[in-house]
Amino acid sequence: MTPDNPTSEKHYLRLRHNVQHRLSLVPILGWLLGALLAVILEQLAGDYLVDALDMDKMPSLLGILAIAKDIKYFLWQGWDQLVIIGKMFAGGAFSGVVSVPDPFQTPRVLLYVFLVYFLPIALFGTLTIRPANWMADKLSKLPSAVSVIGYLILLYLVMHIWADMSAYRGMALRFTLIAVMLTLSLNVINGYMGEFSCSHPGFMALGAYGASVVTVVLFANDKLFGAALLPKFLAPAFFPLALVVGGAVASFGALLIAVPSFRTRGDYLAIISLAFLFIVKSLIENLEIVGGPRGLKGQPDLASLPVVFTWAVLCIWTINNFVRSTLGKALNAVRDDEVAANAMTVNTRRTKMTAFLFGAFWAGVAGGLFAHVLRYVNPATFGLQKLAEVLAMVYFGGLNSVYGSIVGAVSISLLSEALRPFELFKWVIIPLLLILVMIYRPTGLIAFREFDVRSVLKPKQNPESEV
Amino acid sequence: MTLNLQNLLDFQNIIDALQWGSFYALIALGYSMVYSILMLFNFAHGDIFMVGAYIGFGIASLLVGLTVAGSLALPGWVILILTLLGAMCLTSIVGMAVERIGYRPLRDAPRASAAITGLMIGIILEQGNLILLGAKRRSFPEIIESQTFSIGGVDITNIKIMIVGVSLAFMLALHLFIKKNKWGMAMRAMAFDYLVVPLMGVSINAIARMTFAIGSALAAVAGIFFGMAYPVLEPTMGIVYGWKAFVAAILGGRGSIMGACFAGFLIGFIEIFVPLVFPSTLRDLIAYSIILLILVYRPHGFFGEPYSAKLRL
Amino acid sequence: MRKALYVVLACVVLSLILSPCAWGRAKAIKIGINAPLTGDIPKVGEGTRYAAEMWKADIDAAGGLKVGKKKYPVELYIEDNESKAESAVRANTKLITDDEVLVIVGPQSSKQAVPAGEVANNWKTPMISPWSTNPDTTKDRPYVFRGCFLDPFQGPVLANFITEEFGFKKAAVLYDVASDYPKGLAEFFKEAWEKLHGRGSVVAFESFTTKDVDFSSQLNKIRNSGAQVLFTPQYYNEVALIVQQANSKGIKMPIVGSDSWGSAETVELCGEDCYGLFFSTHYAAAGAKGATKAFIDRYEKKYGYIPDDVGALTWDALRLVQSAIESCGKLTGRIEKDRKCVRNALAKIKKFDGITGNMTFTEEGDPIKCAVIVRISEKGEYEFFKSVCP
Repeated sequence: MTPDNPTSEKHYLRLRHNVQHRLSLVPILGWLLGALLAVILEQLAGDYLVDALDMDKMPSLLGILAIAKDIKYFLWQGWDQLVIIGKMFAGGAFSGVVSVPDPFQTPRVLLYVFLVYFLPIALFGTLTIRPANWMADKLSKLPSAVSVIGYLILLYLVMHIWADMSAYRGMALRFTLIAVMLTLSLNVINGYMGEFSCSHPGFMALGAYGASVVTVVLFANDKLFGAALLPKFLAPAFFPLALVVGGAVASFGALLIAVPSFRTRGDYLAIISLAFLFIVKSLIENLEIVGGPRGLKGQPDLASLPVVFTWAVLCIWTINNFVRSTLGKALNAVRDDEVAANAMTVNTRRTKMTAFLFGAFWAGVAGGLFAHVLRYVNPATFGLQKLAEVLAMVYFGGLNSVYGSIVGAVSISLLSEALRPFELFKWVIIPLLLILVMIYRPTGLIAFREFDVRSVLKPKQNPESEV
Repeated sequence: MTLNLQNLLDFQNIIDALQWGSFYALIALGYSMVYSILMLFNFAHGDIFMVGAYIGFGIASLLVGLTVAGSLALPGWVILILTLLGAMCLTSIVGMAVERIGYRPLRDAPRASAAITGLMIGIILEQGNLILLGAKRRSFPEIIESQTFSIGGVDITNIKIMIVGVSLAFMLALHLFIKKNKWGMAMRAMAFDYLVVPLMGVSINAIARMTFAIGSALAAVAGIFFGMAYPVLEPTMGIVYGWKAFVAAILGGRGSIMGACFAGFLIGFIEIFVPLVFPSTLRDLIAYSIILLILVYRPHGFFGEPYSAKLRL
Repeated sequence: MRKALYVVLACVVLSLILSPCAWGRAKAIKIGINAPLTGDIPKVGEGTRYAAEMWKADIDAAGGLKVGKKKYPVELYIEDNESKAESAVRANTKLITDDEVLVIVGPQSSKQAVPAGEVANNWKTPMISPWSTNPDTTKDRPYVFRGCFLDPFQGPVLANFITEEFGFKKAAVLYDVASDYPKGLAEFFKEAWEKLHGRGSVVAFESFTTKDVDFSSQLNKIRNSGAQVLFTPQYYNEVALIVQQANSKGIKMPIVGSDSWGSAETVELCGEDCYGLFFSTHYAAAGAKGATKAFIDRYEKKYGYIPDDVGALTWDALRLVQSAIESCGKLTGRIEKDRKCVRNALAKIKKFDGITGNMTFTEEGDPIKCAVIVRISEKGEYEFFKSVCP
């Protein structure tokens, strides 16, 4: 088909329009069911496909890692080629040719991803528009708690089956969920409250150590704390308690910062919270009872995917409700103009304190989960680098937006995992991206948007109308 | 815990603390100027300090290498002056470039966004250095031969005296520039009101550029002195000292050159003297608790005027 | 949509074209290397990488690793742990779960090897740390081995050496409290010294944290304490700073180090200030004989400098791994089973003839080896001074 053939061009445009139109009609339910189908397909047939395509293993993280490795190969090779050519000009002998990485994964990985994910999801989504919309409509008429739980179970199933295929996927997924929690909790302070807090890694550390101490004391035979106090089978029941203890410790730390720094408006929170971060790190380094600078290990394996998923959902739900409540609106008022808010009978000091402690609590819970996924914590983890990472997630995704935080955390986590093969260049590419986002959208990608579950889940097409 | 108080009276420690504090003071000045005049946190400043140290390393290695090879016959102090001047110029250019790329496009954006770009530029500078020069440590060449004088049981090197003396001279020069010079006055005016002053014919871009240039030049001085005192350079050296100097800048108070210097020296003294009395592991804990307490009682720093920052977000 | 179809078609064609050359190749044996390529001690990572590449070149030249009757190609998966504990844990997890390596060699320093060993043991993957001397690395971990002597051995060796050589009675220690290796060794040294000279004979036990560059307050304390010798079990970047600052303060006492000094960088960064100092290490490059000399010559020819102890130990660790895999007899292709087999084969190794000495693993997975005391000569070379065996 040549582009100057008007009929085919028109035909193509119409086709594209049709596809776009049909895609826009697929409700979330349709996508979710399609994804479920895809992961079941991968579970059943993935191994055969891997053998048939003669790949090393199933591509983890949708094959981005494998493709990145190949790209890196070509880039590095390209550099070598330049060096070789340079040498040739300088009078040396030509020695070396452009080679293909062995095994060259990209085409196979692309094919695999297309066959396993893209095709089933797209086909299922577009073919089941009517029944899916009908079901979505029925679900939306149920009490919203029931329907949301239904959706969450479906989402969890997809994640579970997907993560079941390799431990690495499971770990990456859990770290991403924890990153979402952290980002959201920092967004409450830096976005909704409009302050600049630097102490989030500190809260995370307090939560991580608080929760770890509880579980290690109770359930692990540890060199530092002695034998386990309770039998192992009770551990899952006590884990939520441990996390809440972690969150509470973090909140207590937040209280220590909040009391002095909210007396005046200005940039003092930035400094006080930074000093607090140094203090927390130094404090843990000096507490020999929790392992000092060398860290605490031996946390029981409690943070499985369902546990992390449940806590992440709980976190998103509470924070979303919090920022949409009266208190959340008061918080925005304080951010925009503290004097005016005060005049409008908002108790500014209490509002700020509540929000700050609330954010710190969730950072602590996320820290506790982090410690139990990694099953090792040391104070050096919670330093300035972690701070830069969390800040990047918040500002990349967008201030004042639950939706943005989820997007920011997921994309930065995914990027930093996918760009791993580029080693040092990873932390050039991510900052460059963030600078571009800041220059073109100074408040982040999806800032100031409300996260309304109902509107996300609603059917895209009235079931009575014709397609 | 054993308290060993007679160590406090050792004059040696005062000399060490003065040297340690001058780095913080020099770096803090750059933070403080940007913060006062443009109301921005320049989180890239710590890494500009690192870049300054590396540029100084490059120039000094070249000159020392040429002298050793015999193609140049320069005495040590000439090399030092050339290194200082060269590094100050080049680092100012880096600083102005950072301002142009990272801060000017964001002048009307929320302040926090500009802080994030600064942070990211800092990371890029650091990683770029790792990529260009590798993770290998660099050994700063010996520009001036170190001589140790012993005065009443206290050992002082000529390098220490020079570092403290020249740093103080630079601080004084900056203070005079800000107070007496026309451009200095424009800077102070901009710090007073950045909305009205541009209407009076003062270009905010020119002032911003100059602020970054001066701050970066001072950071380069700090970098070279740092390299002379602790001759092992590494690409991540900027982070820790940068953030600590940032604390010093705020502790000094907004818009106060003297404040930033004073706070820089104070942090130096705290960090040297705390390990003398307490176990050295508690250094950061106690040092920052003291700073926290100071901020609780003097929330606007030592010399800062109380002000109400109308945040632009 | 149409473009996507083209891409897919192109992929199918490409994979079909490229497949024949790959079809039917034996699944490679994957060896994970967890090394500090960036961060505080990049020279250590470089030595590890070079030794590993040399080993792989040998295997490739031989046409693969022979297990039973089949020859398998070997693939190296080199992960950077940035010289940080948490990154080492993550790197190990990735190597085990994503790359599915058979064995892990590394991490080198105890700071990373202690936590990373936990991961390897939890996932039942054999790991051998060439350079980690802290006892905790292998303690109660059947799957974790090491290629060097331990700090409870090294501490007394140094204490005895200083006592015999100089006849000193009062010692000072300066160490990084945030790192497993210096902290552990400092404590073992203190214990051994006080056993020899009575309580209180370590007159200054000073610490700092990672990344510190100014040690003046600690050194002032040490100077005033009346110590006769300073022991500092630090890595090469800190050694240069400590020795130079001590000299500029007029501290005249000898400074003694441990095996972490044994990098070529120490002398490069420290210069003349370090000449004449002593430290304990795993092998002495100057004056080596036999296989050790052959290794040193080959390494020097290829990379342009004499290998550090890390390079030699990594080489030995890889050779250990090789002999364990070979004696496994047969690889089933089921990674869990093969890992177990390699682990058992490693534990059974007797009198392995390595370039850094003979090795037989104890129950804990630790070899019994000799230590060497080295003097930094006036030319900046590491001279053999004496050897101490358990």
